[in-house]
Amino acid sequence: MGCSVTQKARSGIINPIFNCQPAGAQYAGIGVKDCIPLVHGGQGCSMFVRLLFAQHFKENFDIASSSLHEEAAVFGGIKRLEAGVDSLVKRYPDLRVIPIITTCSTETIGDDIEGSIRKLQRMLKRDHPGRIVHLVPVHTPSYTGSAVSGYNVAVQAMVTTIAKKGEANGKLNVFTGWVNPGDVTELKHYLTEMGIDATILLDIESFDSPMMPSKDSFTHGSTTVEDIEGSANAAASIALSRYEGYSAAQYLERIFEVPATLTPTPIGIRNTDIMLQQIQKITGKAIPESLVRERGVALDALADLAHMFFADKKVAIYGNPDLVIALAEFCREVELKPVLLLLGDENGGYVKDPRILNLQQNVDYDMEIVCNADLWELEKRIKNKEIELDLIMGHSKGRYIAIDAGIPMVRVGFPTFDRAGVYRNPVIGYKGAMMLGETIANTLFAQMEFKKDREWLLNTW
Amino acid sequence: MPMKLLDCDTLIPEREQHVYIKEAGEDTTQFLPISNAATIPGTLSERGCAFCGAKLVIGGVLKDTIQLIHGPFGCAYDTWHTKRYPSDNDNFQLKYAWSTNVKEKNVVFGAEKLLKLAINEVFDAMPAIKRMFIYTTCSTALIGDDPKAVAKAVIAERPDVDIFVVECPGFAGVSQSKGHHVLNMGWIHEKVGQVEPKITSPYTINFIGDYNIQGDTDVLQRYWHKLGIQVIAHFTGNATYDECRGMHRAQLNVVNCARSAGYIANELKKKYGIPRLDIDSWGFSYMATGLRKVGDYFGIQDKVEELIEEEEDKWKPKLDWYKERLKGKKMAIWTGGPRLWHWTRAVEDDLGVQVVAMASKFGHQEDFEKVIARGREGTVYIDDGNELEFFEVIEMVKPDVIFTGPRVGELVKKLHIPYVNGHAYHNGPYMGFEGFVNLARDFYNAVNSPLWALAGQNIQEGL
Amino acid sequence: MADKAESLVTFIQERCLWQFVSRAPDREENIDGVLTLVGILLTGGVPKLQTPMDRLHFANANHLVTEIKTEFPWITQLGKEELFAVVTGAIKRIHGLTVKNSKNGELHQPLY
Repeated sequence: MGCSVTQKARSGIINPIFNCQPAGAQYAGIGVKDCIPLVHGGQGCSMFVRLLFAQHFKENFDIASSSLHEEAAVFGGIKRLEAGVDSLVKRYPDLRVIPIITTCSTETIGDDIEGSIRKLQRMLKRDHPGRIVHLVPVHTPSYTGSAVSGYNVAVQAMVTTIAKKGEANGKLNVFTGWVNPGDVTELKHYLTEMGIDATILLDIESFDSPMMPSKDSFTHGSTTVEDIEGSANAAASIALSRYEGYSAAQYLERIFEVPATLTPTPIGIRNTDIMLQQIQKITGKAIPESLVRERGVALDALADLAHMFFADKKVAIYGNPDLVIALAEFCREVELKPVLLLLGDENGGYVKDPRILNLQQNVDYDMEIVCNADLWELEKRIKNKEIELDLIMGHSKGRYIAIDAGIPMVRVGFPTFDRAGVYRNPVIGYKGAMMLGETIANTLFAQMEFKKDREWLLNTW
Repeated sequence: MPMKLLDCDTLIPEREQHVYIKEAGEDTTQFLPISNAATIPGTLSERGCAFCGAKLVIGGVLKDTIQLIHGPFGCAYDTWHTKRYPSDNDNFQLKYAWSTNVKEKNVVFGAEKLLKLAINEVFDAMPAIKRMFIYTTCSTALIGDDPKAVAKAVIAERPDVDIFVVECPGFAGVSQSKGHHVLNMGWIHEKVGQVEPKITSPYTINFIGDYNIQGDTDVLQRYWHKLGIQVIAHFTGNATYDECRGMHRAQLNVVNCARSAGYIANELKKKYGIPRLDIDSWGFSYMATGLRKVGDYFGIQDKVEELIEEEEDKWKPKLDWYKERLKGKKMAIWTGGPRLWHWTRAVEDDLGVQVVAMASKFGHQEDFEKVIARGREGTVYIDDGNELEFFEVIEMVKPDVIFTGPRVGELVKKLHIPYVNGHAYHNGPYMGFEGFVNLARDFYNAVNSPLWALAGQNIQEGL
Repeated sequence: MADKAESLVTFIQERCLWQFVSRAPDREENIDGVLTLVGILLTGGVPKLQTPMDRLHFANANHLVTEIKTEFPWITQLGKEELFAVVTGAIKRIHGLTVKNSKNGELHQPLY
């Protein structure tokens, strides 16, 4: 009885929960304006990831490749890297940032990225005088960590390279972690309501880009070079994700004395409360009545659902670790029973995560948290009838598990390409909690009707 | 005219040799784009890697085979949920991605032990599956692992399994094409001939170079079935590992995708004397021509004419309905390579459509010889096109629709140009008679969507 | 006669894939095989099909002849010698276009 933390026993992976480090680094890079990440490796490392982002957002993101070919295996890849930077700088006159993202091939070959960057900066000065392009070394071999750590490494690398001591700007840095545009919208709403001047790292609200009559709207991130430079001069940083972006906040604290606060990922009522109170404490700005009302609306909506439809329903959750843990906490708020959490990489820190320790202490039913998991761990438990689930919450690459087992599934996290518009909605905040609750409810309702399982309950709910 | 240097390429003038605009009186002995050459880094080329060409395009299509990717897990993740090739084996090949999950310590100390362990783990986890492809990736190629030796050891311990190893690290070659080549050559040299198929018809073929995208193979298989032709192996749409080991017994190799699988057709001719018949299985008229050729080979012309008549009765009226409405429309094709030459003339003859620009990711010069011979004058032909070139070409030719991948489609959407998925189709299948009607339907619905006109209106300026 | 051969060549170039297989010797084999049969069939001859390659060339030639007759009605009016000249001219031209003068560097690779 209770919550146990286990490790996947197999060495190999069947159905990885996320992508490898360079993919996460690219996700961070595209959040910056006038930035084209250059992935230093085989063409697949960037091309597959561009496709992945397109599947999730239904948008094209500009990411370049150094197009490593065979001779690099013998002679090293630096020439390709330098040619790549050269092509980009020449053909994209507005380009201001190039994160140079390494991959397993170039890390194995041992290319000296930092040395190359120094040489490239000299070349830039000579060939493009007056032009400033930040070349950010991002070391993300795929044989360590995962997209989660890759994102973290890249955010820190960009901050390390670009943050610049200047005049104090009184702003709040917000390190969002791996979120969706809808989450950024919700965050901005809170900050506006509280009258806070903030730098959102990374501001990806603009990923949800329009078709404009002028035909000149293309998809890109909105965090500027000035935003990143200014992060060194903020009044404080708050990080919403322990594993995605917090390292950058810690860096700013260490080097520029910008105090950093880590708040539990704000999914669910309680976690959102904590975040808002942290922000209030850090900035001195009061939480306005409007947000109390929004909280109330969410609670009101969830109260209609919890004990009627959610109570005792068993849920499995997989995805990025902060997302999974926070979703589990939200589920418990609304009487859903998370019984299986799948955390997908070898990060030894999970077992020390205070939120997981908390679950271990307080959960009074059988719950398993599998570390270093893959989705086969979910599928085989279902197939072997070790577990009976009422709901799965996770990203679209696990869809066949749900489809084949006939278990209702709510798409959440990344990527969510098999449902329309998921990225446009928040999962964080009060609105996020409410929308999650209602999506879960509607998913369960659709299942009831499809299976003709007491669907008459809804006749008069 | 001589090769074309686009404005966006002024600072990378090497690109001039890759872009051609056909003019009257010219032929490919005068002007032929350089192809299958090194990519210029940093250009936002559309190319993928050799591993993609081997696993995602060809190997991963097999319906009864574990696709174990020897490397860090990203390569497996990235080639999972990225294709639409169903099968009649409950779509096993769509549901899983297997990785040996190479870690830093394996890169330092070698990963062969890990590979052996992972192979056994997977066979144990999925006991109903007895066949496996193993792919090397960038890191496992660099560290010098010998996966073939490991595979051999496992087969010795598990005599009911068979394993095929493809050495296709991402940095090999210059694009997906290298992966096609390596897989084809490995298969013919190591596996073809190991299984004797049961012969059930006097007419036997392999159908080579079709991957059952949205059920293309099923469309064609219905034709072969009606004609009483036994397909020994589809390479590799809806196929099994062992079917593909019996390819040596076919009397004829019918080839659609000459780019990805021409290699094995060539080798089958060299080694077993099986002739190679190239057809186009996309295109309404082309399908009839292709079937007639097969009919002529086997002397079953009557059956073929009967089939063609039946199909044309059923589908030509619908095709003509679309032709009436698509006449004169301008199309661009930005895909891998072969669909350029498969489609350019087919859409012109069957739908009255003009293809005004084409770009190939990984085509060779052979593909450009074909497309330029079949294609129009004034059309832009590009090898290894990149994003800025796409924008410039759109300005030049103003296509009504672009057949390309979803990501590029989502880019051109901002210019209010519809796309149809040229790789995995919108609503396919697109092969065969009914398939071309499907293609026409998607084309028609794309260009006639009321959304484009709405997108062009600026509400600040009145309606 | 040169125009006529040229229009036939253009037609074949636009329609046929067998002239574009991977290597020079294979292209030459196909060009000679198919177009020789085309010549025979256009004169109403009955080709001797003994080997699988003979049947392949026939498969590539037979329907092509039907198309040629539709596209170029004059061709059935030609005498045997004139037809021979046209076909021989076409063979030579296509050899030139797809093998001898082709810019395709892969044609002469010894391996596939």
